[in-house]
Amino acid sequence: MATTPTSTARAASTSRSGSTSRWRGIAFVGVLAVALVVAPLVSSPYVNYQLSSIAVFAVAILGLNIVMGYTGQVSLGQSAFLGLGAYIAAYGILHGWPGPLTLLLCAVVPAVVGMLVALAAARLRGLALAMITLALPIVGVPLARRFDDFTGGSQGQVVSWLRAPESTGLANDQWRYYVVVLIAVVAFVLARNLVRGRIGRSFAIVKENEAVALSMGVSPYRTKVLAFTIASLLGGVSGFMYLAIVQYTSPETLVFATSINLVAAMVIGGSASIIGTALGAVYYVLVPVLAGQVNSSRTALISGAVLLAVLFLLPAGLVSLPRRLARLRSSTRRPHPSAPPTTSDEATHRASAPSATTDQHS
Amino acid sequence: MSYFIQVVVDGLSNGAIYAAIALAIVLVYRATGLINFAQGGMAVTATFVAYALTQAGVPVLLALVAAVVLGFALGALLERGVMRHFEGGDPDTAVVATIALLVVLSGLSAFFFGYEPHPFPSLFPNRTIGVLGVFVSLRSIGTITVLIVVMVALQLLFRSTKLGLAMRAVADNPQSSALSGLPVSRLLMIGWGLAAALGAIAGVLVAPQLFISPGMLDFVLVYALASAILGGLDSPVGAVVAAAFIGVVENLAGAYLDFIGDDLKIAVPFIAVIVILVVRPQGLFGRKVTVRV
Repeated sequence: MATTPTSTARAASTSRSGSTSRWRGIAFVGVLAVALVVAPLVSSPYVNYQLSSIAVFAVAILGLNIVMGYTGQVSLGQSAFLGLGAYIAAYGILHGWPGPLTLLLCAVVPAVVGMLVALAAARLRGLALAMITLALPIVGVPLARRFDDFTGGSQGQVVSWLRAPESTGLANDQWRYYVVVLIAVVAFVLARNLVRGRIGRSFAIVKENEAVALSMGVSPYRTKVLAFTIASLLGGVSGFMYLAIVQYTSPETLVFATSINLVAAMVIGGSASIIGTALGAVYYVLVPVLAGQVNSSRTALISGAVLLAVLFLLPAGLVSLPRRLARLRSSTRRPHPSAPPTTSDEATHRASAPSATTDQHS
Repeated sequence: MSYFIQVVVDGLSNGAIYAAIALAIVLVYRATGLINFAQGGMAVTATFVAYALTQAGVPVLLALVAAVVLGFALGALLERGVMRHFEGGDPDTAVVATIALLVVLSGLSAFFFGYEPHPFPSLFPNRTIGVLGVFVSLRSIGTITVLIVVMVALQLLFRSTKLGLAMRAVADNPQSSALSGLPVSRLLMIGWGLAAALGAIAGVLVAPQLFISPGMLDFVLVYALASAILGGLDSPVGAVVAAAFIGVVENLAGAYLDFIGDDLKIAVPFIAVIVILVVRPQGLFGRKVTVRV
């Protein structure tokens, strides 16, 4: 079939917008980098603490997004790995282990635990999997209370570490901010490369259809175990970061409610999206704070209402906001869009919707 | 021996509460394919209605009836007003919407009644009776009896009424049901309404023991989820058996295994559930789903 003029024009415009969006992307990264470096120098310790919290939970949500958003495997247990990482970090610090070794253990031990759980759980799908991951924080909290030699029991562990070195001239909150943001940036860059590469494609095909994955030589079982392991690793790392800024951990760190809120934040930010992960973390940290400032006794009510409102307006998450706005603008500019530029976009949406349902039934 | 029976009966009465919420979860799952995290929130909201009525001097039984009716209305309303919007979309988004409902509902309860727990009058007299040399609380027996009645009623509804048949048809295949002229959306509303009404019963039964507060059922919800999944999400009988199993195992482990004790007893049923699921992924009573390519 001959190429119609419209499609050529569209192709040209795509390539043009492709290169502009590339430059825009680079500019965006540049501005973001400057903002990340400058922010703590001009903010109050309170703001720095909130910004650092965003970095912490961004890494936890990143792990969740890899297993749930990218690979399509429900996980209701991410808080268990966050808590495990925080406890390992506390133990290491109280026993005087060097920081980098502690960080390494905070990554490796949860990853091994996650892998062992996944080796059994990855045979299951859907709700059985949800059940097993749900059991992790439920069993983890009483375990943390019981093994108080290691965890400090219900009182938890208070640590005092990661003071800013004299030579830097930074305050503690600024120094901790730089440490956790550095870890978060490294985690995000690695995760971005991971999901865009061969492994990311195998995640996507396992999410889409396991039988097809198998026929392409991708083992769904191994892929799922890998996704879980990475998610647990990132959960453990976020636990290390959590301890770095909060300086305290207790069984409360790993409660089931945290897992649920992390899942909500992931979907709010944008499933299977790196930028969405960061937006989800911003949401996770800021909405309760802002709701508390509006009315401290109505925090839950306001956060719930905001959550519901975002779901209503942006079912694909905050990351879809620019696209949504663009569509709104184009529809107001042209009252009768005979050939809206978003058609292909909608088509992919429709194509992916039924596959999501099949996924759920299988 | 008598101590053993007492522990088992207490476990069964806990299990009855888990079972009521688990049944509600199964009901919604069968109708919409969703795990409804708002189940606990709906139940607590309805229970607070009963609480407000008893505070106003209404007898508990009447308050229970009012809570069940209002719970039904609330469930139907939430399905129509909120969940309808997410049907047919990404299931993850729909599940998070139920989480949002949970947060909003407990926020609302806290708005009117605060977060601190209030005492709640019991439907059954707070006495124990001796049966065959064993002392069992009337509350336990009453809870178990009510649950059995509810279960039989549900079974009758689904097996021997036209409404139940229609609901099963919608759960099985919404498209075909719609084509055969069934009012699918209205049936979904009824499904949510029934689930919320069931939650109201569970809430009123458990409130005297737990004291009523917005977070009263958070923990029960977790047990109920475990029961529903262990029993196989499409099997009401399975959910009840699993809930009884979880309640009894938890109580026995807490009572007899010294190193487990009261704090770790929750771990025992969950570890049992994990082992069972790894061996039998579809749950105890669930049908095995064959995946077609």
